Amino acid sequence: MDKQIDASINELDTAFTPEDIVEPSLNNTTEEQNVNQWQRISPIAMVYFVIKFIYALFGNVIYIAPAILVGYKQILANPHIWLPVAVVVLALIALGTFLNFYFFQYRLTDDHIEIRSGVFAKKHVNLPFTRIQNVKLEQPIYYRPFNYTCLQLDTAGSAKQEAKVVALKVEFAEQLKKEILASHKLATANESILNDNISALDSNTSEQSINQSVEKISENEVVLNRRSVKDLVIHGLTNNRIWIFIGGMAPFFEQIGRGIVDFFNALGIDIENLLTIADKPWWQIGLYALTLTFLVMLAISLFSVAGSIISFYNYTLSKTADRYIRRSGLLTKHEVSMRLSRLQMVVRQQDWLDLLLKRINLKFEQSNANMQDFQPGAQNNKIIVPSIKPEQCQELIADVYPKNQLMTIDYQGISKHFLIRNILYIITPLVLSLSAFVLFIDKAIALYVIVPVFALLSVMVIFRWLRWGFASDENYLYIRKGMFGVDYYCFPRYKVQQTTFKQSWFLRKRQLASVRFVLAAGGQNIPFIPQVQAYQLIDNALFEVESTRKSWM
Amino acid sequence: MTTQTSVQPPTDFSNKTLTTDALPSLENLEQQAISPIYAKANRYINLFGTLILMLVGLAISYQPFFDLSDFARNIFIYITWGIAALGLLITLYEAKADQQKLYALREKDISYTSGLIFRKTVSQPILRVQHVELKRGPIDRKIGLAKLQVFSAGGAMHTFEIPGLLLEEAESIRQFILSHKDTNHHG
Repeated sequence: MDKQIDASINELDTAFTPEDIVEPSLNNTTEEQNVNQWQRISPIAMVYFVIKFIYALFGNVIYIAPAILVGYKQILANPHIWLPVAVVVLALIALGTFLNFYFFQYRLTDDHIEIRSGVFAKKHVNLPFTRIQNVKLEQPIYYRPFNYTCLQLDTAGSAKQEAKVVALKVEFAEQLKKEILASHKLATANESILNDNISALDSNTSEQSINQSVEKISENEVVLNRRSVKDLVIHGLTNNRIWIFIGGMAPFFEQIGRGIVDFFNALGIDIENLLTIADKPWWQIGLYALTLTFLVMLAISLFSVAGSIISFYNYTLSKTADRYIRRSGLLTKHEVSMRLSRLQMVVRQQDWLDLLLKRINLKFEQSNANMQDFQPGAQNNKIIVPSIKPEQCQELIADVYPKNQLMTIDYQGISKHFLIRNILYIITPLVLSLSAFVLFIDKAIALYVIVPVFALLSVMVIFRWLRWGFASDENYLYIRKGMFGVDYYCFPRYKVQQTTFKQSWFLRKRQLASVRFVLAAGGQNIPFIPQVQAYQLIDNALFEVESTRKSWM
Repeated sequence: MTTQTSVQPPTDFSNKTLTTDALPSLENLEQQAISPIYAKANRYINLFGTLILMLVGLAISYQPFFDLSDFARNIFIYITWGIAALGLLITLYEAKADQQKLYALREKDISYTSGLIFRKTVSQPILRVQHVELKRGPIDRKIGLAKLQVFSAGGAMHTFEIPGLLLEEAESIRQFILSHKDTNHHG
């Protein structure tokens, strides 16, 4: 069996390997001698496959749960069976891992990378370097002692096209990455020279320029920003990511609740008794509620801070010639890089707590097209700079979008009709009919809830109206919005993919309209602005896209 | 990627409406209606759909296989009438709305306007088109219509779509987009 496969691999080798392979620097590496042969990755990758398998198992826990439940009873009934079952399961995992590893092969030929993988469903990816848009290095914690890393390759096309080489020596991966990026750069350079004289670029000069640009890339990397642990603590406090955590914990709520009650019981506090509302003065109940809220908030904040540190530990944002690179991570080190031309939109976000602490989350958004394939570690395509100070933020924005006036330009607010529509025509009728219903069924006490909710909703709408504004200058469109916090969006007009002009019958009577701009990073709305300006915004955007004909990526 | 940032229009830029000479503004877009066959077909589909649902409701109310309580039977009859009223409303609304579905093809972009009360015009620059599809369901094939779908990098949620085009019309728009000198040049 093995021999057969080996033989077929050899056959493939002889069939596919072109004879005139140009491998300027890769051939010189001592470790990966024959990179243009099909080869396996380091056996360390088996750890990766095991962990991936376990992830998949937990990810599909819903489907497996019934089986486990049934199995659980079976096991309780026949306790002697669990050992063989466990052995078989472990053996299956081991076998699967080994096969996954065994069939994972890659080779580099003539500025192509080919990856073959899969045990039953075979997958063969062949990527020319020039088609690779983005190279990410991802170093899970278990690779770190052995100095290995994953190399993730993104293409501009569909999500299915992407490829990952799961275990490479860090130095080799770095070198390969430079090579790929350089050849991409070279390709774009070639395109521009193409029209003038293509024959001038024979293999010698192209080799030279590859080497030159490789050196250039490594030389020019400048660190723009670092985040200290203190910054990350602030980020954790201001950006609760607890909801993700709670979502994951949902199946275990009951056990957790019981655990907490037991814990307090062990301390001699009967929490269930404490929480029984009857026969207690109101201030006591209020105090309990307050304490409980604080305790919960404290726990939530701690988790959030931990999450922030795990994903952003040792954060650096650096820049090479035309590329921004984010590196961070406590357990798994992530590296996200983005060419400046891929940047679709800058988002400057401040929640209300950020406003108080004068911190900002800055996001550089790339195309969302590949977002369907969610991967653990998230925020794959975004370069986020967590909780930076206003001056630093301004510097970074000026660095990516020169001559922008994000914070200095005058924003024009949206029409008062936004308030009228939302409060008078939507919230009020709902509240009135609900109140009428409540009175009708003789439960007037519910008004104590309905009225404050109505007030809160109205205040929210008013804040939203106050925040929402737009502005434009000769290069960029700016949008400001938010509710209690404030977010700024800025994008060059030529990045627009599609526009929408929206006008209801009611708005037309008032000569108002809403505008929507669709970018590769998602859509942005500007509602309730004068019709004339709405047409102007769209006409200008279309004109700029169609007249400059600049590429959006 | 050029470093040019100014918005100086090239002197040879033009974006005239293909049918008439108008200013390149969305406001005075020269629009064409989609095929009237579409509205007609839609009317029939809505009416027959409603009728079938009503028949199902009636069949359940009066079938001889198992006994329904009078209460349940009454509910089913009410539901049937509800379906009838709703179906009629939808049919009337869509009959009106279908007449208001317009599209406009300019040299450098394509726009589609729809909606009766909430009206919107989506514009898609041809430069940003990633690919084009013609979609034809069984009914479309029967009556010689096609739906044009235009995909941009804005994602699947923002697929630009014009329904109810005559097949040859749709083919020619598709061909126009494909052969446009701007497409296939982003990379």
